[in-house]
Amino acid sequence: MTAPTLKIENLKLGFKNWAGVSNVLHGISLHIKKGERVALVGESGSGKSVTARIVLGMLQQLKTARISGSVEFEGINLETLKPASRHALRGTRMSMIFQDPTSSLNPVYTIFALFKEVLARAEPGITSERARQRAIEALADVAINEPERVLDSYSFQLSGGMNQRVMIAMALANNPALLLADEPGTALDVTVQAQTLKLMSELVEKHQTSVLFISHNLGVVREFADRVYVIYKGNIVEQGATAELFANPQHPYTRALLSAVPRITGGGIPDLDDDPGQFLAPLVAHPSYSEKERLA
Amino acid sequence: MKKTLLILTRNPLSLIGLILVAIVVFSAIFADFITPFPEHVGAVVDFVNFNKPPQWPYIFGTDLVGRDLFTRVVYAYRISLVLGIVVLAIAVPIGVTVGLAAGYLGGWAEYVLMRITDVFLSIPPLVLAMSVMGLLEPTLTNGMIAVTVMWWPWYTRLVYNIARSEKEEGYVLAAEVIGASKTHIMFREILPNCVPSIITKMTLDFGFVILIASSLSFLGLGVQPPTPDLGSMVAEGAKYLPDSWWLTVFPGLAILIAVFGFNLIGDALREILGIDQ
Amino acid sequence: MSPLIRLLAKRLGTSVIVLIGVSLLIFAIARVIPGDPARIALGPNATTEAVAALRGKLHLDAPFLTQYGYFIADLFRGDLGLSLYTNRPVMADIAQFLPATLELVIVSGIMMVAIGLPLGILSARRRGSWVDHTVRLVTLLGVSAPAFVWAVVLMLCFSYFIKIFPIAGRISDTFSIPSVTGFLLVDTLLAGDIKAFGNAVWHVILPAFALALSGIGQAARLVRSNMVETYDKPYIEMAEAYGFPEKRIARRYALRPSLIPSLTIIGLDFAAMLGSAFLVEAVYAWPGLSRYGVAVILRKDLNAIVGTVLVISAVFLIVNLIVDLLVSILNPRIRLSQRAS
Repeated sequence: MTAPTLKIENLKLGFKNWAGVSNVLHGISLHIKKGERVALVGESGSGKSVTARIVLGMLQQLKTARISGSVEFEGINLETLKPASRHALRGTRMSMIFQDPTSSLNPVYTIFALFKEVLARAEPGITSERARQRAIEALADVAINEPERVLDSYSFQLSGGMNQRVMIAMALANNPALLLADEPGTALDVTVQAQTLKLMSELVEKHQTSVLFISHNLGVVREFADRVYVIYKGNIVEQGATAELFANPQHPYTRALLSAVPRITGGGIPDLDDDPGQFLAPLVAHPSYSEKERLA
Repeated sequence: MKKTLLILTRNPLSLIGLILVAIVVFSAIFADFITPFPEHVGAVVDFVNFNKPPQWPYIFGTDLVGRDLFTRVVYAYRISLVLGIVVLAIAVPIGVTVGLAAGYLGGWAEYVLMRITDVFLSIPPLVLAMSVMGLLEPTLTNGMIAVTVMWWPWYTRLVYNIARSEKEEGYVLAAEVIGASKTHIMFREILPNCVPSIITKMTLDFGFVILIASSLSFLGLGVQPPTPDLGSMVAEGAKYLPDSWWLTVFPGLAILIAVFGFNLIGDALREILGIDQ
Repeated sequence: MSPLIRLLAKRLGTSVIVLIGVSLLIFAIARVIPGDPARIALGPNATTEAVAALRGKLHLDAPFLTQYGYFIADLFRGDLGLSLYTNRPVMADIAQFLPATLELVIVSGIMMVAIGLPLGILSARRRGSWVDHTVRLVTLLGVSAPAFVWAVVLMLCFSYFIKIFPIAGRISDTFSIPSVTGFLLVDTLLAGDIKAFGNAVWHVILPAFALALSGIGQAARLVRSNMVETYDKPYIEMAEAYGFPEKRIARRYALRPSLIPSLTIIGLDFAAMLGSAFLVEAVYAWPGLSRYGVAVILRKDLNAIVGTVLVISAVFLIVNLIVDLLVSILNPRIRLSQRAS
């Protein structure tokens, strides 16, 4: 069988500061098969965003970061690659979508200028005509009606939803094998977020792109992901198929997380099982959903 | 406040700044006790010991009429510090009030006040102070007036920008809703939010006031002899370069040390309090 | 392009209003001060009649606004009145001395940008490293002393101690260059005299550097802090995530948004050099506006003071106008919405 698109094993991360090393990730393992959509769910500060940045190789340059464990991309251990070859994967084989599309698009350049830069990652020296052609196609894929006008605009002239579509189009323009979506569209309002997620969902299915979907929003995860890893304080505490995990949460933290979602029918916000000590209980993998079983 | 002071002593650069400023302030306050020849502040003449290079007991050397340069530099610090305190004590309240009014009231008040401020800001600072100074008599008091006239608009601009964005904030709207007076909102609600920026700017400016005042007297438009002044000492000594180098080098270094000290602290404050330039 | 022109027109209008304000301010200061300019001009031995006659000629007895009216009317004819100090039209005096000052300031301005910007960029790209710390310390030293202290120190070091630069003046006496523009660096080239040009450059380097030092420090510190702030923006992370080359991120993605707020202040600093130039000119016996300015100020030569300040402020406003234009070219948000902040 082919190697999974992404395989992270026993990944640890700490930051060195004056008091010593403060650990952020305590050895997490996860994988994504080709075309699979996997969610990494946790509260803010749980270590989910740094995971995406390590995959891209963006934290390694920090002098204070201490990283161990392995990250394999399509069967290649990224640590064994030369920095240049690793850098070459960014924006081509892997790409990323951010929380706030509007502030992630540089305000002093037009959408087209940015688009061209992205396309040039896969096709160095691309001509403006060709870049324009491809950008228009990519924008058509995300249901943008006036691609010409959008390309000649600056991000501050477009709505948040429009920028999010542009971001999705850019992220998928080079047909990456892996898309890292870090809380995509959390800064947008709920209906726009839902629309753009649906769009993204259709596109990754069409392109068979693997997705690491990072979120704190359980509702969104339920809609979007095939499989879920729950992360708490730098540890994966539960993993399994989306439907099963939501129907039958095993780990105390997952249960707390799920019961924290307010229900319209219930009596408002339910009482939380407020004993964080038990949240540190060991990993619960749902039957046939442990790393070992899945990767066999 | 205590915490800020603690952080200042942790960072090596701001610690150096604190030490430099402490030295300057200490010597200015206790000038009468630490200088070997306090009488050299005035028009004293000692032709036996004139124009001597640095040597004991004249650690900075002596000037052309035999006065101890170290004594004069230390007393010049005293005058510079007094000048800095007076200038900021007058310029800051004026500038801040105008800025608050323009930023919060808006409308025609904003237009008129800010255009007036623009007028002051569009004359190069030193040129403005020079013309005010020249038109008055060159004395210490007039020097303070001249520097104050050029200084207040910078505070107006600083506070104006903050007030303009703060007035959209919820706490200001809340105060308006419960019917607080305009003066209350300006001085009790908005002003406290400007304080970190004002304090930081004042720290930096203390050095720059000394710098500008010395520039004025360097041009002969400031404190008049025999009162010791760093700027006029450099101007006087520059005529005797390179042979009597100490006449310019020590007063020049004295300016550098004082301004550098205040800048180091101001810089660190800006970083600690998270203030943009 | 049309919003840009509209913006420029608006700014030009504001500048004119401000310039009128400046003239009123200086004029008012000049009129309220004690001391009779006519008496000062003629000296203590002049007869009362002579003083009265001069007062009449200068409209000193007319009400303030009338005096200001005369002044503005003259100004539109390019007449700033007579200098009581040189007994020549103030316009002619300024025309004679201003080019030397402008030449010095322009060379300093070029040094400020050419040295300050790269230092700031370097410091920001290596933020947190010893390169960054060194640059920050050195630039802070640069802004911590007035230009005359640097002028004296540089002169001691590089004219007396190591004799590589001249002590004073704009050009050696052996050259005689016909004055066309008043800018020696231009006139020597117009005369086709490369040696004289080299000589003029040799003369301008040290005073210009002394004048530029605080500007260099200011520019470097400003660009660094703005760029460090920009580096934390999501769009820089986006550029990194998409693997844009580091150099390109620094040059295109981080520098340009940082330049926009920096430029305005750099423009102000550049204009402030017009004032500090007085200090450097005094040390290097540079035949610019300084000696004239200080002399007329000490003699309460009203016409000359008002004229000098007005001309300097006009140059100041022109510089700011150019900066505004540059900023709106760099910042599409202003260019497109023409909402200038």
